[in-house]
Amino acid sequence: MRKKIQPYAYSLPALIVIGLIVLFPILYTGYISLTNMSVYHWFDFHPIGLENYKKALLVFDSGFLPALLRTLLWTAVNMALQLTVPFFIAILLNSEGLRFKDFYKTILMFPWAMPAYVSILLWRMGIYNSEFGLLNQWLKQLGFKPVDWLSGDGTAFAACLIVNLWMAFPFMIMMIDGGLQSIDKSYYESATLDGAGFFMKMLKITVPSLRPIIAPAAIMTTFTTFKQFDIVFLMTQQQGSKTGANIHTVLTYAYEKAFMTNNYGYSSAISILIFAIVIAFSVFTTKDLKEEGTR
Amino acid sequence: MNGRKTKRAIRLLLTNLFFILICFACLIPILYALSVSLNTGNSMLSSHFSFIPERFTWDNYRTVLFKKPFFLWLKNSVLLALFTVIVSLAVGVPAAYAFSRYRFKGRNHMLYILLLLNAFPSILSMFALYRLLRPIGLVNSYLGLILIYTGSMTIFSLWNMKGYFDTIPVDIEQAAQIDGANDYQIVTKIVLPLAKPTIIVTAVLVLLSVWNDYIFAINFMSGAEKYTLAVGLYSLQATDYTRNWPLFSAASLLASLPALIIFFLIQKHMRSGLTAGGVKE
Repeated sequence: MRKKIQPYAYSLPALIVIGLIVLFPILYTGYISLTNMSVYHWFDFHPIGLENYKKALLVFDSGFLPALLRTLLWTAVNMALQLTVPFFIAILLNSEGLRFKDFYKTILMFPWAMPAYVSILLWRMGIYNSEFGLLNQWLKQLGFKPVDWLSGDGTAFAACLIVNLWMAFPFMIMMIDGGLQSIDKSYYESATLDGAGFFMKMLKITVPSLRPIIAPAAIMTTFTTFKQFDIVFLMTQQQGSKTGANIHTVLTYAYEKAFMTNNYGYSSAISILIFAIVIAFSVFTTKDLKEEGTR
Repeated sequence: MNGRKTKRAIRLLLTNLFFILICFACLIPILYALSVSLNTGNSMLSSHFSFIPERFTWDNYRTVLFKKPFFLWLKNSVLLALFTVIVSLAVGVPAAYAFSRYRFKGRNHMLYILLLLNAFPSILSMFALYRLLRPIGLVNSYLGLILIYTGSMTIFSLWNMKGYFDTIPVDIEQAAQIDGANDYQIVTKIVLPLAKPTIIVTAVLVLLSVWNDYIFAINFMSGAEKYTLAVGLYSLQATDYTRNWPLFSAASLLASLPALIIFFLIQKHMRSGLTAGGVKE
């Protein structure tokens, strides 16, 4: 009998914390999403059915759908670059006879090791600032007019993209580098004997062997990229110092609706929609993960 | 033969050059901040920019350390991070052990549901948490933040440590059980020593998540005496950042230092921990 209670007793504290901090807010958010709760209706809110969802999904101008499309674009561009550039860097890192490999690798890990908010603020103020940012100092020296990088939609999007790539490359380089080292060298030797060239070996040996190793990392990164909040928020949406660019991702959009325009019901509906999208994607991709975890 | 050798040497040289360039490019934001923080007042606005400070000074660091409440922020961050780690491990280790070692009703479903719940971005639950915690006095309190940080990392900790526990063979535990050891003894004498690498890695990742959070801290904490490093830094750049930029860069480098040290320490540990943790039959 004791044996039966034990596992529940051991996991109870963790489950209570999760219930309180994770599960309850989700359920409560779901409830708020069906009401008109806002700063004017802090206590006297009442249910309004699916109005918030209708506004989010059927009114393009409300801003959710454009933000969603932008987030999908953001994720796609990011993933395309994060799977290719680090791949070539990792291949080069594994060049034969590269003596300072470990040194280079350590340096390349720095963007990952820095606290993200610090890096983002350093980029914002050090690199992109319109008066004394590094980019504009260089432009001035070359005789061009300074550009206000973070105020235009296009330049701000590109600026955020670069920061995200800068922060995300190290992880991918590490994963791919680890994967490369796990490939049996004898494959390459016999391929060389068969007369295969560099690209043939890449295509037929390296890429197929890396795929199963990189896939979980790639899926995980896709999620974190989709859910990226800090970069767009700190670069363009800080309270009191918005730069004027509208490059909301779904997360910064939901945040703005809750904490700046105080439309809690609507923001909660957005949150639930985001959750649904992420869950759908998880169920789709983590089938293998589930089988592995519960084995 | 000789031609091939030179060709290889050239290729290696080019690769090295490429990496020197990339490494430099990658460090530019950090190096620039370092240079600004070591430069006297106005020279950063001059057109002659260089990565080596023209007029060297420690003033910005001195101001941050002694004229701003840097040590107060540091103390708050350290305490908050330490308590969160302690609470996280206290609830996480037993749960991970239970999910790894016992087969109980609802286990598989729970594991899967936890994974799905983890997909909900914690920023989105901030408003609900605010409304939930405010009436019970946990807004603008460290206890509230510790609870939030613990909660948002528990699913990760549980899954992470459970995965490692799964790789530790049960034979030793069964032998100890036959010798009459109880669960508590088995965990403290056998499982914990074997699972040290994963516990350290988990603890450090929880620690860093607290150290690096600003969004919950700025929304849940008001009053300068309760600022953490992140909130302090955020407030430095949010107010009059043109004048504060050298101060901010000095402060941000100081605040990053512990995170950098911990990261590179753990990176080594992670590798040795993972290989040493490999099960020897």
